[in-house]
Amino acid sequence: MSKAAKQKIVAYAMVLPAFLIVMLTVAYPIVNSIILSFKDEKTGKFTLDNYAYFFTTPNQLKNILYTLFVVLVTVALAIVIAYLLALYLRFNHSRIAKWIGNLYLLPRFVPAMCAVYAMITIIRDSGLINRVGAAFGQDWKLGLMYHASGLIVMNLWFNIPFATMMIAAGLGAIPDSIIEAARDVGAGRMKVFRAMILPLSVKDVVIAATFVYMSNVGSFTTPYLMGGNAPKMLGIALFDQFNKYLDYNRSAALSVIMFLLCAVSAVVYIRTNLKDREWEA
Amino acid sequence: MKAGGHSMKERKENMKGKKVVSLVMAGAMTAALLAGCGSSASKSTSAGNDAKAASSGSTASAAGNGSVEEFNLYATGSDNVRAIFETLTEDFNNNSEYAGKYKCNLTFMLSGTGAASMTDGLVAAYKANQKDSGYDLVDLSGDDLSKVVSQIGEEAFVKLDKSKIPNASGVEAKSSVAADYVQPYRGTTVVLAYDSDKVTDVPKTWDDLTNWIKANPGRFAYNQPGTGGAGDSFARTSVYNYLPEEAFTSDDPSWEDKWDEGFDYLKDIHSSMYKSGGAVVYPAKNQGTLDLLNQGEIDMCPNWADMVLSQRKSGQIKDSIKIAQITDKPLTGSLQSLAMPTFGAHQDAAYAFINYMLSEEAQQTMVTEMAAIPLIDTSKLDMSGFEDLENLDTTNFRIQSIGALSTDFNERWDNDIATLG
Repeated sequence: MSKAAKQKIVAYAMVLPAFLIVMLTVAYPIVNSIILSFKDEKTGKFTLDNYAYFFTTPNQLKNILYTLFVVLVTVALAIVIAYLLALYLRFNHSRIAKWIGNLYLLPRFVPAMCAVYAMITIIRDSGLINRVGAAFGQDWKLGLMYHASGLIVMNLWFNIPFATMMIAAGLGAIPDSIIEAARDVGAGRMKVFRAMILPLSVKDVVIAATFVYMSNVGSFTTPYLMGGNAPKMLGIALFDQFNKYLDYNRSAALSVIMFLLCAVSAVVYIRTNLKDREWEA
Repeated sequence: MKAGGHSMKERKENMKGKKVVSLVMAGAMTAALLAGCGSSASKSTSAGNDAKAASSGSTASAAGNGSVEEFNLYATGSDNVRAIFETLTEDFNNNSEYAGKYKCNLTFMLSGTGAASMTDGLVAAYKANQKDSGYDLVDLSGDDLSKVVSQIGEEAFVKLDKSKIPNASGVEAKSSVAADYVQPYRGTTVVLAYDSDKVTDVPKTWDDLTNWIKANPGRFAYNQPGTGGAGDSFARTSVYNYLPEEAFTSDDPSWEDKWDEGFDYLKDIHSSMYKSGGAVVYPAKNQGTLDLLNQGEIDMCPNWADMVLSQRKSGQIKDSIKIAQITDKPLTGSLQSLAMPTFGAHQDAAYAFINYMLSEEAQQTMVTEMAAIPLIDTSKLDMSGFEDLENLDTTNFRIQSIGALSTDFNERWDNDIATLG
């Protein structure tokens, strides 16, 4: 056997375990779900009913729209706040900025369950904020629990640090020299931002947005503990179909719908990356 | 053309590749399955051996070299049930009057962790005509019991000879299914949990409760059905109050047509339920409503008696939280029973264990450790801290088992009630 052939075999052998795991745990279930989603629950024949159910039943349609609403508001707020925070961390060299720079990732290390329960004890109608108010004779009922606004607050807690990290990495790659050069030719702060910083970091912003979007479409823990009864996030709707109603065909269809919702952002992500290549070429 | 042909060939090769991949995958999956079964089996036997090794030393010293009859006990439930069973079997093997004579090997299946439940195992063993299946004695909840009986019949269990269970003479509680074949030994029920600082006029009848709910809007909550037994019990009792009593233990789908009146009742009380953020909310899980009660956001909710009392004892919830049962149409409860499948062995040993479970010591342990409702005369037990349990009458426990209808019930509730906003 030639040396090249041997090398090839070694290379394939090294890739094989990862390949098999991906096939077994990702590709196979996806294919399986797609097939299942087009089958009738009783007869096993081809049908589109499982999909029609989610787009024609008013409650289910509301769930989809509600999920999109929560996710899009989360993305918008998280990205704006994260971008401002990242700008501050990149261009402010004070001691406070340094401290924030060290601390802002901390939430990522708190287990999701603990964080959600901590948030609940603070924002619930009888929580910390209400008690602080009670000390001043006020009765503040935030009404955040079991409401979309509460979910969004919690999502921000999880996603701002993550988005900041991604955007900060992008901003860190902008050399000081570019900005100094622009300043030298008389560009003001806003001009530097609009002409230099924004175009150079927009790609990271888009990528951060796609990640935040994807991770929230299928979220479960937060809406399960903090969400209301109806409408519900799709993660919970899927749980209902699968665990409560034991309807596996509809579960499969909803999984595919969620997959497609995520695919939208995957397309954006890939396109953003490709554009970059074009520019390099 | 050439390019086309090439790609055809490639496609064929791809197909071949796919076949190979699927073969490998099938192989890997079987291997994983086998490994999974193997490891769990070896785990349970090794656990059994450990127990054997641990207790054989003490039994040897207690009873010399007399032969010890071993038997298997199968039980299932949540983690607090596991803990209590481990305590009790250890006590049975080492300290009880049966120590050195009989030895119980416990196999505990944590609920919700295995694909196949204990009831599936029982049904399978029966249908496979096994003779010595190892199921010498099984612990069954009311729900599980009716599930098993509906599938393989009560004759699958040994008809109990009460003379071999002297401690059962004072036990009045009777299982609603297969009463002659199973021995209940503890109970638990859903009750109304309320804050006694706020509720002075505790509802006694279902009408009282309805009036209370309407007179105190926003102060009552039940958890979403399907997320915990307390909410299930409340919603189903509400609906089945409008149906004949026999429907309570039937899984006949024709009853579904008669749910309307009950669901109208749930709709009627909907607007008086707990609100947050301007909308009515049914929290998830039993603990969800209990937390609201403890935080003072509501004053009353249905919950499990044992859950409320053990959390009160441990200081997790306020002392002012008390429990009460509705007398005319009680919330549903469950009796936990022991039964001997005909396809098991070691009946004398099993009888001894049943008798032990109804002894004062064992009943006391169950009261203190899990706030279970004891089935023997409570005057023989130390009920301090659990006085509320004495008022719960186990003789007229309302037991519900609607089998697969519960799935439809939850779906209808989600569609009709949860969406009212």
